[in-house]
Amino acid sequence: MEAEEIANYTKNQLLKKGADDVIVTVGTDNSTQVKFANNKINVTKTWDTIELGIFLAKDKKIVSTSIKDFSYRTANDTILALMKFVKSAKPNKEYEGIAEGPFKYKEIEDSFDKKIIDMNDKSIDLVEQGINKALEIGAKRTAGNLEFSNSKIYLITSNNVEATDKSTSIYYSIRALVNKHASGHMVSVSRVLDKLSINDTAREAAEIATQSINPKYCDEGQYDVLFHPYAFANLLFNLGGNFSVFFVESGLSCLQNSVGKKIMSENVSLYDDGTLKNGFASSKFDAEGVPTQKNVLVDKGVVKTYLHNTSSAKRYNTNTTANAGLIVPEPHTLILQNGSYSKDELVQETKRGIYITNLWYTRFQNVQTGEFSTIPRDGIFYIENGKLKNPIKGIRISENLLNIMKNISAVGENSLQIKGWEVESPVVTPYVLVKNINITKPL
Amino acid sequence: MEENKDLADFAIQHAIELGCEYVEARLEHTNANGFVIKNGIPQISSFNKISGLGIRFLINKELGFLSTNDLKKEVIKRLLEKAIKSTKVGSRIGEETKLADEEAHKDVYEVKQKIKLGNVDPEEKMKILLDAEKEIMGLKINVPGRFISLSDQVTTEYLVNSDGTQLLATVPKVSFFYFLTIQENTKTSQRYWQYGNSGGFEFVKKWNVAKILTDEVMAQHKNLKQGIKAPKGKMDLVAAPQVVGIMVHESAGHPYEADRIFGREAAQAGESFISPDMVNTIIGSDVVNVVDDPAIENSYGFYKYDNEGTKARRKWLIKEGKINEFLHNRETAVYMDLKSNGSSRAVDYDKESIVRMSNTFMLPGDYSEEELIEGVKHGIYMKNFMEWNIDDKRLNQKYVGAEAYLIKNGKITDHVISPKLEISTPDLYNAVDAVAKNTEFHSGNCGKGEPMQAIPVWFGGPSIRLRNVRIK
Repeated sequence: MEAEEIANYTKNQLLKKGADDVIVTVGTDNSTQVKFANNKINVTKTWDTIELGIFLAKDKKIVSTSIKDFSYRTANDTILALMKFVKSAKPNKEYEGIAEGPFKYKEIEDSFDKKIIDMNDKSIDLVEQGINKALEIGAKRTAGNLEFSNSKIYLITSNNVEATDKSTSIYYSIRALVNKHASGHMVSVSRVLDKLSINDTAREAAEIATQSINPKYCDEGQYDVLFHPYAFANLLFNLGGNFSVFFVESGLSCLQNSVGKKIMSENVSLYDDGTLKNGFASSKFDAEGVPTQKNVLVDKGVVKTYLHNTSSAKRYNTNTTANAGLIVPEPHTLILQNGSYSKDELVQETKRGIYITNLWYTRFQNVQTGEFSTIPRDGIFYIENGKLKNPIKGIRISENLLNIMKNISAVGENSLQIKGWEVESPVVTPYVLVKNINITKPL
Repeated sequence: MEENKDLADFAIQHAIELGCEYVEARLEHTNANGFVIKNGIPQISSFNKISGLGIRFLINKELGFLSTNDLKKEVIKRLLEKAIKSTKVGSRIGEETKLADEEAHKDVYEVKQKIKLGNVDPEEKMKILLDAEKEIMGLKINVPGRFISLSDQVTTEYLVNSDGTQLLATVPKVSFFYFLTIQENTKTSQRYWQYGNSGGFEFVKKWNVAKILTDEVMAQHKNLKQGIKAPKGKMDLVAAPQVVGIMVHESAGHPYEADRIFGREAAQAGESFISPDMVNTIIGSDVVNVVDDPAIENSYGFYKYDNEGTKARRKWLIKEGKINEFLHNRETAVYMDLKSNGSSRAVDYDKESIVRMSNTFMLPGDYSEEELIEGVKHGIYMKNFMEWNIDDKRLNQKYVGAEAYLIKNGKITDHVISPKLEISTPDLYNAVDAVAKNTEFHSGNCGKGEPMQAIPVWFGGPSIRLRNVRIK
């Protein structure tokens, strides 16, 4: 492929001109999105992208660029521009280099499916199927989208790494509404077509919507809160970045000085897994080409590690966790270890509580201390004496993220993989019950 | 750009040949640079060159969109054929999309750069951040977290459509962002903010990055060190321009986006408490006037024509306390038998243009900020904020003060820690009894769409006084 030849040419030329470390990637992506609202398709979008990414370090000075124009002429211009740019850059004293290859890679199970590539117009049938299912349950309006992609990444580095990964993925999101004040939202994500569940997803969104008709206001105060996986994924996504050593060092993490300390509930064991079977973000290697792995982030409430790339790991005298991000290490897929409770048992455990199915607009007053608030969206239900009661509306969780992680009293047995509009990288979580959550509202 | 213009023209012609009722093509070329320092250490410098073509079309009254950065005639032809075929199939259960009539415009425009971004050495750009870092360290205040970035880009956009519109726009933009952690003994406070303009490097110089950062550190440190617990209960609140800006963006901008009102964004950014029949309904006191205006020179949300080729104009969202006008593109305007008011924007060539804000702000009144404060017996002055959010219908919002003060008998007294205003939208705008004239504009990247389109906007206004609101 010409693009890969250009990538190799670029790497070699940069090394010849004196670069210390070079990483070049070629990413190609073909995606389609069918967006619907008011039970009709609004727009069908098709994307075709090819991108050359270059990372270059010389004398600890780091520059990066991406080009979307593939020719030797552009490559030569870019090589000259990069070498000029790096001359005037300032050294990053923290930089300790990139990983030394070669590496052996394992295939990720269920990460590629030709059926997704060949989907073509079947996507329209799937969208229609979901809309019909939601209407059948009792929704009056539906909105959402179905998006499917076929991507490939080729990565080479100056340190004997050459790697290729190809992937497919499919993402389905549906919000069902009975009226403006009664709605439910659910998603389904998969790397293979057969594991996408259109009917179940649409059914659950519509069931939440039909159950949330005529919501009432409730009092401010402390409640036990049962989170649906779709809601709790939002909090875990917000927690995930806190494990990145970059954010720890920037003062943008509530986990500073926490490794080895028990700062969460005994019920919390949290992993990051780049190798997860059918994981929406699973890939054979990270941004340096290091084979991905499963990392224990929290074991029974004790923080075990931050997320590292090769450079940050060297500074901390540890090994990379294969989470490059060349500057900012980042999680692949966060997984909260499931427990043994059914959803019904979690409801039964709750004397005075609230069941929340979706969260949005999570914002922090202080990331380091964890003070934040977030707004329950779609179906919210009052729980009294172990039973789901009336729907409620107009509330906000005004809390501390670490308090929430400390107060987790029970964890459900079944997990869902969630990616959503606010949950930008995937999270696998079961239902979670948290004691004593501060609920506020406009008075 | 010049050599690829014929590809956009070709896309229009070919899509019409394939049976499309309407086509628009947007060819973009962007040169962008970025610089980041963390705790005084330069992390990375980057430059990107992005060229691509986005095409939107109507076939069988169904909307389709495609984009590619592989700028070859045969690629565009192949993708168009594929996208048109998919869209046709989708039209089976598609919404019948109509676009409001729009005059065709031909124009070439450019936001001038007094100091061209391309002529400023990367070293000089990085030096702005490093000099600011030195000034912060010189304050002898403990600032353990210092993340600062500077970005610039020049985008040239060629927009053509099958109605005869042909526009060539060049808009340079600069922005700077910081996230600081200030510590006093064991307590910390955090603050981030952003500055942005359309224009050249002269704006980076004008901002005085070092002064912005040192002023922020000193103010937040004082607030942290001397701040008392915020009083609770009903009292008056004077909200300064930064707070007013976020208020009007969240609860007077977003709910007036017609695509939300008509349910098109229901599964993403949400809907609106407003329905189409609420035009002329009272939503606030008669001193409240909120507009959205893309035509402000050198603003971060500037454009002369929107991404559907409609000429930009000021939109009067709230007029003397009444709901007056929504933000429309050509698609939503049809629902209300109107013409577009030029609110269609896309953040990049590969995004569908949708209804967006530009520069949203409250219009000034006659008071000075001092006069607002003088009229308060017991209350809070909220200079800026950190945490905020609002529900997806835009009714239930919260703003938590960062730098904030107690007002006693018309005078600013003690610093207060994190006063919280949690209030409904009608209660907020009805509580405004006086508007000052100290208008300021602030910058942000507003999120909407799927995939996410974080689009540059200004938000702002003068200080306002809210009577008898509950502070928590």
